[in-house]
Amino acid sequence: MSILDSVSIPRRTMVLFFLVDTSGSMDGDKIGAVNEAIREVLPEIKAISAENADALIKIAVLDFSSGARWLYNTPIEADQFVWNNLEAGGLTDLGVAFNMLNDKLSRTQFMADAVGSYAPAIFMMSDGEPTDEYKKGLAELRRNKWFKVAIKVAVAIGSDANTEILKEFTGNDECVLTVRTPASLKKMIRFASVTASQIGSKSSGVGLGDDSDADTNQKAADFAGQIKTFQQDSIDVDDVQNGW
Amino acid sequence: MKEFKQNDKIALKVGGSITVKRKLGEGGQGIVYLVEMNGKQYALKWYTHDCTKEFYDNLDNNIKNGAPTDSFLWPQFLTEWHEKRFGYIMALRPDEFKEFSHFLLAKARFGSLSAMIHAALQISNAFRALHRKGYSYQDLNDGNFFIHPITGEVLICDNDNVAPYGKNLGIAGKCRYMAPEVVLRKSLPNADTDRFSLGVLLFMLLFNNHPLEGKLIASVPCLTDQMERRFYGSSPVFIFDPKNDTNHPVMGVHTNAIRRWPIFPQYIKDAFIHIFGAEGIHEPNKRNPENEWIKLFMRLRDETVKCSCGNETFINMEVSESNCINCGKQLGKPMTLNVGRSRIVMFPGKKAYAIHTKAGSEDFLKITGEVIQNKNKPALWGMRNISADTWMCTMPDGKQKTISNNDVVPVLNGISIVFGGGVKGEITE
Repeated sequence: MSILDSVSIPRRTMVLFFLVDTSGSMDGDKIGAVNEAIREVLPEIKAISAENADALIKIAVLDFSSGARWLYNTPIEADQFVWNNLEAGGLTDLGVAFNMLNDKLSRTQFMADAVGSYAPAIFMMSDGEPTDEYKKGLAELRRNKWFKVAIKVAVAIGSDANTEILKEFTGNDECVLTVRTPASLKKMIRFASVTASQIGSKSSGVGLGDDSDADTNQKAADFAGQIKTFQQDSIDVDDVQNGW
Repeated sequence: MKEFKQNDKIALKVGGSITVKRKLGEGGQGIVYLVEMNGKQYALKWYTHDCTKEFYDNLDNNIKNGAPTDSFLWPQFLTEWHEKRFGYIMALRPDEFKEFSHFLLAKARFGSLSAMIHAALQISNAFRALHRKGYSYQDLNDGNFFIHPITGEVLICDNDNVAPYGKNLGIAGKCRYMAPEVVLRKSLPNADTDRFSLGVLLFMLLFNNHPLEGKLIASVPCLTDQMERRFYGSSPVFIFDPKNDTNHPVMGVHTNAIRRWPIFPQYIKDAFIHIFGAEGIHEPNKRNPENEWIKLFMRLRDETVKCSCGNETFINMEVSESNCINCGKQLGKPMTLNVGRSRIVMFPGKKAYAIHTKAGSEDFLKITGEVIQNKNKPALWGMRNISADTWMCTMPDGKQKTISNNDVVPVLNGISIVFGGGVKGEITE
């Protein structure tokens, strides 16, 4: 082997989580748009991972309705990931979803990469009210160290979604986005997942003063900033007048 | 603001317009389009966030001042403002140039050690020229470079944060590549912080691993802001720090650095030990200047020869015997042409440059001499004059001979050459 031959530089892992509400009310064009949008954005996420010398991106999907299920039992590298259409039906067991996410956000579970990880990005989509007891699960999740440092974004699909719970989930108002048409849902899924992947999988700019122990989260702040700009740029008349 | 579509026209500040052909890519700051102007194709970088007038004026000023060297894909024209956004035009990158990240990911590799050294020289030279013009680059990272794997030619993009000394346009950058004082926000980016980033890039170019990412960082499950500040800001440790092995590379993880570090000459290692040691980390004005890197890489180039196995290797001038790093063959200690501080190994294919043979020249690219091998008697070597100057050589027996363009000086112990302008050289064992 020539000295000029090399192996890839070790890359950390950034897991992008999709948490998708597949309750009965999501049936029809809502779940249809979600399936389409994620399928379409995957090649872009794959490209971000392929060109990236800081981190590789893996994807994990949890769908929740009556109970919740992981699409695969381990995060899958973006370039290997195959999206299987999600079907809607059943209740909205958000509490179960929070518990299952909390279990996997652990060094012994999904965050087990040998050379370490960057903070994950967690993208939640929901159109309704939880039908189970979710508070305890959410409180525990919010104490999870991985969850604390994650980039979090939530899309409220239509006017019936409980945005207050989503705000508790993301920890701020900026990262909860409401969409009312299939077109804007697709646009939002694309923007949020591409931006979260770009920011989450790169070495950050850190900063915020010279206190090196300060508990900052520059990536989450950068992400919130970009979401804000995007929302200002994409106010859609159609979205306001029609839709869910 | 919607994205531009094919055939959209965008007005330029200087008058006239460009036509959008298609989208080429998208990054955190903006979108890059293929555009056409007067029948010629260019790249347009369009900002997708609101920009300040200061940012626009700074770019305008950079355009007026021109690129420091040909290595820069420098902004050429600004567009008019579209509300609070705009873009600029630059040359397109030819396809043969590969992103630096592709080298790091082992998707691209240098064709030869010479190409790798040439790339290191080009990058060092580009930043020397940029700093000499009074600019700092401010955001050096792996995304800014395109390299030709065979020639080692370099193209540097994203020149939009380049600003005069003392000025900063608010760029954050990537902390894997930042100087520690920028990571900790004790300093804004400047020429000294650029020189730290340059050290990181040169290390990665040669060793294909990160200089500060060893055992310590590999054992951290989640790289949070706090951790990034620690490993790149408040307490970075070089993976080959001779006095501190806490962050040494890990077998099976930092494979490239472990393989390559031992084969490089000590003076190259010393330069990295300095920049990632106490002085380089904590005393910004003691970081290796570009000039020093250029001298070191020129020396490395002077000592790089092609072995009969077909691969290149280094000759260690400090010892009586060098072995090929590829096949292990003994190469002895070849003769050298000694000019000033340079010692060019007299091996077939080796070259002398204007910086060696022309008085006062800094040009390390213009070839002025090349060592050739007699076709009929392969043991006979000579150096051909491929400059416009006439050289005067004195043979070991005292006889003098003029060496005009295309003439050959034999490679023999004791020959001295006057290249002109007071520059003298001598071939010795």
